[in-house]
Amino acid sequence: MTAAITTPPADNADLLIRTVALGKSYPQVFRPRDRLRALGKLLLGRTDIDSIPVLRDVSIRVARGESLGLIGENGAGKSTLLKLLTGVLTPSTGSVEVRGSVGALLELGAGFNPEYSGRDNIAMSAALYGLDGEAMRDKLPQIIAFADIGRYIDEPVKHYSSGMVVRLGFAIVAALRPDLLITDEVLAVGDESFQKKCVRWMEDYLDGGGTLILVSHSMYHIQKLCRQACWLREGVVAAAGDVFDVTQAYLAYHERKLASLTEARTISDQGVEFYLLDFTLNGVAAETPIFVDRGGTVRARTRVHSRDGRAPVVAFGIARADGTAVYGVSSEMDQVRPVAESSNVYVAEIEFHDLDLLPGAYSVKSHPMDSEGLRVFDTLERGLVVRGNSRELGLVRLQHRWNDVEPARNVDTRAVREARG
Amino acid sequence: MSDLTLLTMHFVRRELRNRYLGSISGGLWALMQPLAQLAIYGFVWAYVFRMRAPGGDASPAAIVPFLALGVWPWNAFSEAITRSTTAIQDNAGLIGKVALPRWILVLATAAASFLLHGLGFCAVLLLLGLLGMHVNLLWLPVALFVFAQLFVLALGFAFLFSAVQVFVRDLSQVLAQLMPLWMFVSPVLYSREYLPAAYRGWFDLNPFSFYPEFLRATRLGLGGIGIQAAAIALLVAVVTLGVGYGIFRRLDPRFEDFL
Repeated sequence: MTAAITTPPADNADLLIRTVALGKSYPQVFRPRDRLRALGKLLLGRTDIDSIPVLRDVSIRVARGESLGLIGENGAGKSTLLKLLTGVLTPSTGSVEVRGSVGALLELGAGFNPEYSGRDNIAMSAALYGLDGEAMRDKLPQIIAFADIGRYIDEPVKHYSSGMVVRLGFAIVAALRPDLLITDEVLAVGDESFQKKCVRWMEDYLDGGGTLILVSHSMYHIQKLCRQACWLREGVVAAAGDVFDVTQAYLAYHERKLASLTEARTISDQGVEFYLLDFTLNGVAAETPIFVDRGGTVRARTRVHSRDGRAPVVAFGIARADGTAVYGVSSEMDQVRPVAESSNVYVAEIEFHDLDLLPGAYSVKSHPMDSEGLRVFDTLERGLVVRGNSRELGLVRLQHRWNDVEPARNVDTRAVREARG
Repeated sequence: MSDLTLLTMHFVRRELRNRYLGSISGGLWALMQPLAQLAIYGFVWAYVFRMRAPGGDASPAAIVPFLALGVWPWNAFSEAITRSTTAIQDNAGLIGKVALPRWILVLATAAASFLLHGLGFCAVLLLLGLLGMHVNLLWLPVALFVFAQLFVLALGFAFLFSAVQVFVRDLSQVLAQLMPLWMFVSPVLYSREYLPAAYRGWFDLNPFSFYPEFLRATRLGLGGIGIQAAAIALLVAVVTLGVGYGIFRRLDPRFEDFL
């Protein structure tokens, strides 16, 4: 953990956020008695309260001018992480360091009082951000213009639609222009034109050196606004890095999840002849993508259950993240037999060495087929990210060389053009 | 520091507005309510129970300033405590979305109560002065200092109770029952002399006793307050605030988990 943190001090100077092994647990309080017991323990200075971890071991760093997208399923811990970053929550383990002014839009209408008019709520939010009367009066017209909710600005916020609440909240943050902007799924509520306005504002803000942490379920917005992404899954970082790699891995995970839901049913319903028990890439069984350097080695191993004990044919394939097939081969084509592990279980492993795939996101698939190699019974898919820097185009690097060419003399260009049609 | 002052003032304003939002009489109600209370108590005490103010003045009207010097401090004290007990719980929505020092919420709620009742107290003194009572302007700063000391005491309880209330929601219900009881075991509507001699000493254990007794002693010349008793009362107020705030800070990081 600590090894990843050490960076040159020059780099640290511009770090706005750094979390180290950050974790959060919520106490388990089902009965009122648990609350009393928790109170007693806290008063005695003890921290051993029964709790459920919702976030574990999250280490992220965001430097000035960076933009980080947080993605993940509902309940993955995204909002909890944001609350820890803004200081609303206190970490259970690890630490958070935040520098500079932070503007946060957590959920709808951060801290608005429903009884107050929009105008009064602007004043209140301004006070919370430490803006006094005069600075506030300067910004007021700007906020009202950005929110663009007409006469509703003088109505109590409880009469607002959810879109209007978000408009007002975003307008306030936009006027304050904090060093770091943290927003939680606010774009989803606004209408089309307001979304565009917000996205344009955020792009402008980023161009002006602003720093953004955005939570969204819209991969379009994440990819448009963020250069980095972090995928939270069940409270831990499943993947982090370049926004395209992470979002692709995330989308692929969702497809696999959807597919496995339907597959699981058919297998149990019909008791098919062959199905896959597991599938590992370089020994990793997790559904998160594995990272391989260009020219590296990928070992794919799968175990197949055979209903009648007959040996299956096993096929492996590699496709680009968008589904374009790159290469596929089966054990039957290469006249290899999967190894019997028990009377009903067969294992096969294939190794792709000197991998000449161009950098990018790919998926590796595995299928069991009947003994004749005709029918496909099952599919499992794992993500594979090939790392490296290359400006070559396409999927794979083909063997090639550039030949020395003797320059031709006295060529009649008109004749060449006519010859080419 | 100026940021915190700004924020505190903002929350005091918000608290005052919230109390009278939508009511027609607005802030006037803050004065009307204790006045009505004083009139009722005065009537019941002077005409129904035929009680006379201690100190030899036998006229029924003499009970009014006697009661006023007990009722206003008590109202400020008990309202500050009961209202701030739920200050954290009532602002759960704000606490869950905005990072702010939570103690400001408790301070603002308690301060709003003392501000309203302090003003009411001054108004009543002026009113009594107009009705022919002798008003000593030099006494007013002394009274306000004691009021400020009472605020310190109330704030100590407010911090303690508001923090515990987050964990044990029964506290505000229990307090609603306990506060009237506390009033009747304090020298608010009567004075120490009304008790059998054997029990008079018990008032010394009640941290609130000092305040009405001090005001009555200095204003109406009833009984005497030694410098030692005043020093102890000041010490009790400061220690209560220290302990209350200490416990509040210990529980503060876990509020969000239990709200």
